[in-house]
Amino acid sequence: MPRVADALSLARSQGRAALVPYVMVDRARTRRLRSVVEAALEAGASALELGFPFSDPIADGPILQATADRALSNGTDWSDLVESLEIASALLPTAVMSYANPFWRHGLDHSLRSIARAGASGLIVPDLSLEEAPPWIAAAGRHSINLVLLAAPGVSERRTVRLARATRGFLYLVARYGTTGTALSAERIDLTPIVRTAHRAAPRTPVLIGFGIKDPATAAQALAYGADGVIVASALEERFVRAFGAATVRRVLGPIDRTLRARGVSPPSRPLLYRTRR
Amino acid sequence: MPRRFGPYGGAFVPETLVPALSELEREWRTARRDPRFRAELHRLSRTLAGRPTPLYFAGRLTERARGAEIWLKREDLVHGGAHKFNNALGQGLLAKRMGKPRLIAETGAGQHGVATAMIGAALGLETEVYMGEVDMERQRSNVLRMELLGAKVRPVTTGQRTLKDAINAALRDWIASVRSTHYLLGSAVGPHPFPSIVAEFQSVIGREIAKQSRATFGRLPDLAVACVGGGSNAIGTFHPLRRTDVEFLGVEAGGYRRHGAGAASLAHGRPGILHGTYSYVLQDREGQISETESISAGLDYAGVGPEHAWLKDSGRARYIAVHDDDALRAFHWLAEDEGILPALESAHAVFAAVAEARRRPARQKIVVTLSGRGDKDLEVVGRAASR
Repeated sequence: MPRVADALSLARSQGRAALVPYVMVDRARTRRLRSVVEAALEAGASALELGFPFSDPIADGPILQATADRALSNGTDWSDLVESLEIASALLPTAVMSYANPFWRHGLDHSLRSIARAGASGLIVPDLSLEEAPPWIAAAGRHSINLVLLAAPGVSERRTVRLARATRGFLYLVARYGTTGTALSAERIDLTPIVRTAHRAAPRTPVLIGFGIKDPATAAQALAYGADGVIVASALEERFVRAFGAATVRRVLGPIDRTLRARGVSPPSRPLLYRTRR
Repeated sequence: MPRRFGPYGGAFVPETLVPALSELEREWRTARRDPRFRAELHRLSRTLAGRPTPLYFAGRLTERARGAEIWLKREDLVHGGAHKFNNALGQGLLAKRMGKPRLIAETGAGQHGVATAMIGAALGLETEVYMGEVDMERQRSNVLRMELLGAKVRPVTTGQRTLKDAINAALRDWIASVRSTHYLLGSAVGPHPFPSIVAEFQSVIGREIAKQSRATFGRLPDLAVACVGGGSNAIGTFHPLRRTDVEFLGVEAGGYRRHGAGAASLAHGRPGILHGTYSYVLQDREGQISETESISAGLDYAGVGPEHAWLKDSGRARYIAVHDDDALRAFHWLAEDEGILPALESAHAVFAAVAEARRRPARQKIVVTLSGRGDKDLEVVGRAASR
C-alpha cells in the first residue's frame, strides 16, 4: 500500500483533488470496517483518517465527542486501533488521528512503532502545537510515520511558513474558528492567503482542508481557496450513528467526490531550475 | 516566564489557540512592568478584593491539636468568599487591556465562576461560566450568585459533568470565540502562560504570609499547608516562598474512603497531557482520563498544575490525600473551635494541618491557607451529617 503522502502527491500531480474520509475506531464497528473502507475507496477516497477515541477531545464538536464516548463505552482500546489499522491500511493509505495523551501513555516510540507495524503511514494530533512537536517529529521519523501538523485561521504568516515546512505528508488546514462539525459560522474566512503561503513555503506539500466539510458546496469552497483536497469527518460520523455501513459512505462521499472531480486542482508548480551539485 | 517546570507544563493546544496564548503572554509581559497596570491592580486589590487578608492565630484549634501553632491565612475573607478573586481581578484587567469584551470561565465549586462574574460586572465585560451539571446541583447557591451578578451559567452535560468537563467546554468555546473572548482560567493549570499568570496573581497570598508572619512572630512559618485541586491557592502560597526553607504540604482530595483514587492526581496519577499541559493526571492504562470523585467540587479534578508536578518530583513540596470524612471532621472542628465555616476544599487542608500540628513541638508555626468560606457547602455538609 502506498503511503498517505505518496497517495496525496500522486492525486495532486494528476490534477485530482484528494478526498480523505475520517472513521473513528470503535470495537463495535470492527466487523463492518472492511466494507466501509471499501466503499470509501470506491467513492474516490485517496486516503483514510482513522480516529482513535480520547475521553477529553477539546478540538471536537458534539458529533465526534459522542462518537468517542460511544467507542470508549464499547470498550475500545489500543488493540482495536491496531486491528482496525490492519483492516483499513490494506485497502487505503491510512493516517491515525488522536490526542496526545494516549500516545504519551503508551510511550511515543512504542505507540508509533505499533501503528507503523499495523500499516499507518501518518499521524495527526490536534492538540500538538508546533512548540511541543519536536520530540514527536523525531519519534515519527524513527518509525517512518509522517507527522501531520495543523494550521488554522489567525495563525501568523511566519508561523504558517514554519508549519508548512515542518509538517510531513500534508498540511491539515483547519477551516475556521471552532471545533469539528459545528455549524459553519455566518462569516466566511478566506483561507486563500494561508493556502498560498503554505504552498509557497513548501511547494510539494499538499494542503488539505478539514473541519466543516460536509457537502459538495463546502468541498467546492475549499478548492476555491486553493486547497489540494478535503477531509470529511463529522458529516460521516453523524450519519454513521444510524447506519455504519457502505451505503452511508456512498451517500455522503459520492456527491462530494463528483464535485471534486469536476473541479480538479492544479499540480504543484515546478521550480524553474533544479540545482545540481557538481 | 517559564514555559516548563522541570519537564512539566508546555502548551498542548490546537493551533487555533496559539495566537491568543501568545497575545496573552505578550500583554502580560508588558502589563506587569506597566506602573499604571500595577497601580490599578493594587488599588482594586485593596478597595474591591479586600486585601490584605488577615493572618489569624487559631488558638482553640491549636489546643485541640496540642502541638504546633496553627495560623490561618484568611483567603475566605476575599471578595466573593475565596482566593479566586485575586486571579479573576488580575486577568479581568488583562482582558480589558487586550480589548476583549467577553469573558468565559470554568467553575467547579462555583467560586471561580462567582469571582469572574464579579469582575466581569465591575469592568463591564460580558461573562459566561461553564459549570458541570453535577456541580450546579451540589453548589446551587453559587449558581444563583453568578446569575444575580449578571453572568450566564452554561450547564455542561458531557462526561462526568464536573470541573474537567467544564474546562473542556470552555476550551471549545474559546477555540470558536478566541478573537473577542478572554478565557479567564481559574486554576494554575492549562497551557502556558496560564499556570505562570495564575501563580503570579495568586502569589499575593504567599507574599502577605511572609510579611505578616515576620510582623507577628518575627520569622517565617515552619510549614505552609494548602489544598490542591488544580492548585491555585497552593501555588499562590508556595511560589513566593519557594526559595525559603518553609516546608510545603499540598493536600489533595482522597474522595470516599473505600473507593479508588478520589481526585488525588499527584498521589495516584502519572505524568500525562490534559487540558494543554503536561503534568500528573489520573488516567487509565490506555491514557484515557479517569473519573474522579470528591465531596468538594473544587478539588474534583483529574489533573493538577504543572508547577506542583515539579515541586513534587524535585522534593520541594510534599503532597498527601485527605478523605471526604476527614475533611468533614475538620469542617466541624473549625466551625466549633473558631467560629469559621471553611469551604470543604479548605477543610482538607485544615485536617492535614491539625494532623501535622499533633506531630510537631509547640514552638513550630503552621500556616494553613484557608482558601474559601463554606456557605456554599451547607447543604452538602448537612446531608452528610444526617447520614
